[in-house]
Amino acid sequence: MDPFKHNNLWEPYRKNRRHFKEIFSHQDDYKSLIENTERLAYLIRSYSVYSMTCAALGHPGGSFSEAELLATMYNYVLRYDPAEPSWPMRDIFYLSKCHACPGLYAALALAGYFPVKDLGRYGSWDSYLESHPDSTTTPGIEIAGGSLGQIPGVAVGRALGMRKRGPDHFDRMIYVLIGDGECNEGSVWEAFMAAGHYQLDNLVFIIDNNKVQAKGFVNSDMSIEPLADKLAAFKITPWEVKNGHNVAELIDLFNTLHTQRRGKPNAIILNTIKGKNVADCQLNPNWHTSAPRETGMAQSWLGELWERDGRRLGIEEDFPVSLGKSIAVVPPLHTNPDEIVDKQA
Amino acid sequence: MAQFTIPARDKTKEMRYQMGYALADLAKEYPDIVAVDADLRTSSGLHIFEHFFPDKLIKVGIAEQNMISVSAGLSQEGYIPFPCTFDAFSRRFLDQLYVSVAYSNLNVKVLGAYVGLFTGKAGATHQSDKELGILLRIPRLNVLEPGSNEEMRQILRCAVETPGPFYIRIVRCEVEDNEVGEGYKFLLGKGVTVVDNGYDAGIITTGFMIRTAKIAAEKLLKRGIRVRIDHHPSLKPFDKELLYDMASKVPVMVTAENHCTSGGLFSLVAENLAKEGKQKKVGTIGTDPEDFIHTGHVNDLLAHYKMTSDDIVNMVISLLDERKKLV
Repeated sequence: MDPFKHNNLWEPYRKNRRHFKEIFSHQDDYKSLIENTERLAYLIRSYSVYSMTCAALGHPGGSFSEAELLATMYNYVLRYDPAEPSWPMRDIFYLSKCHACPGLYAALALAGYFPVKDLGRYGSWDSYLESHPDSTTTPGIEIAGGSLGQIPGVAVGRALGMRKRGPDHFDRMIYVLIGDGECNEGSVWEAFMAAGHYQLDNLVFIIDNNKVQAKGFVNSDMSIEPLADKLAAFKITPWEVKNGHNVAELIDLFNTLHTQRRGKPNAIILNTIKGKNVADCQLNPNWHTSAPRETGMAQSWLGELWERDGRRLGIEEDFPVSLGKSIAVVPPLHTNPDEIVDKQA
Repeated sequence: MAQFTIPARDKTKEMRYQMGYALADLAKEYPDIVAVDADLRTSSGLHIFEHFFPDKLIKVGIAEQNMISVSAGLSQEGYIPFPCTFDAFSRRFLDQLYVSVAYSNLNVKVLGAYVGLFTGKAGATHQSDKELGILLRIPRLNVLEPGSNEEMRQILRCAVETPGPFYIRIVRCEVEDNEVGEGYKFLLGKGVTVVDNGYDAGIITTGFMIRTAKIAAEKLLKRGIRVRIDHHPSLKPFDKELLYDMASKVPVMVTAENHCTSGGLFSLVAENLAKEGKQKKVGTIGTDPEDFIHTGHVNDLLAHYKMTSDDIVNMVISLLDERKKLV
């Protein structure tokens, strides 16, 4: 099969993604929405493995922990139009933990911003898919980044700007996905302080609480706990998602947040597992920055993802196999990073 | 609280206050203009803007990094933000300026106040004579340094009317309304010949130093030395053609900048001349790149760092003498 004919595997749940409509658990289409979103999350992980292996570059840990969140955003929550990326009435999604862009690139490609096959050009010279996102070249990216802690403040400025424009009949929302380790940056707290001060209730901070930062564990390197109490003290309403990989829990929360204003900014503490669904990577700092260095490993990861999600979601086994085979070149750098930790970039 | 009052427009020659008025004028014409303040408004002159447009001054508190990030976000909603803090504190938000603003090509116009030695005796932490070293090397960023109030007004207008990131250095002292002459029109990327007495020597200035250089030119003329002065308010993009033109006509040159003599105007001149094989002996007027500038009255500082008109005169004469000995 052609692994890039993704339309056979997944179609956007909404016909018109310029509109948001709540779907509640008692409704008939709730189950199919969840399954459809889970398929998207599965594909985001699989195509991330593809792009990162082709590039011998990337951040699997953070890309896998955010997969269900990205899938829920682009399949259900955000109002956007890939045919017109700068449609002025769109909701804004900022990825502040920019290193996790392989996940976002896969989501954007599947959403229709650019061809899925181009993910294989991730990080290569002359490609529009930079190692860390460049909003001037990649459709669907709202701002360039890669140096942590800056984009929460950008989101505050934008939310403030939207509100200064006066009543907004579209009730546009801004979501910004921040890493838990990223919260070590002081500028994140400058942004939290300003958001609380200006009571920006069109702004939702999402903290991907995947417990692992680049070279260690957040709790031992530099703890951010008690996070909910800190956010509340900054006049932000904290919400906790107990399982950030449970699409139903995410949908239920966004049904609340996307449609109601409470006079305060919101923050979601998204409990996730770094490297979710690939055993090598799970909760392992060594796979924060490191892509598979040979096709064999990528193929085994793709197989693992299929075993975890693809099989139960009714994806043909041929998909991970042919996607693995399509990885042409893997620039050789070094072997399993668990063995050569010191040499990691 | 007398120092926080708003000086009457026709009673003050201070560039920062005239900047506050000029920005307010522009905001009447361009309603998308906003200013972003990190708790320095009565020092930077933004309090004048606030007086006219209280809703258009956004306060972020003492948070320079957030000031630039918030400005980036505002620009994405169609505003034209003018974040303003001390130029020295650009050291605190360089990465935000580099990544969020310049790399993303956003329409943010940063005002750096209190540039160079003119900080009102604020000392080594506030003197900003090194910052051009990095600001001039940020891709896409336009860096401008006006030397008179008329030029400042035109530069603000240019920043509003030209999309993309700008950095504008505003000096904290009195300046003349117009140093160039009637009908002067500032153009982005262009310098201007201000004095054209002759080609005995060339003086290249930016920002405040245009005044000092003009006084020096008069003193030199009395001694029979005819100089040309080229003023470069546009540091990035830099007017190389004007520089090459001067280099082809004068035997020696002097750069005069309210900045240290490395990384700023002198470096632009030296780099470009070397690249074109048009090397000249270039004397430097400016502060010492190896110094933290300690507290002192600006007159003492200008004397210590040899940045007065007499120092320019002496430098031109010694360069010419040195040349005579060689010839």
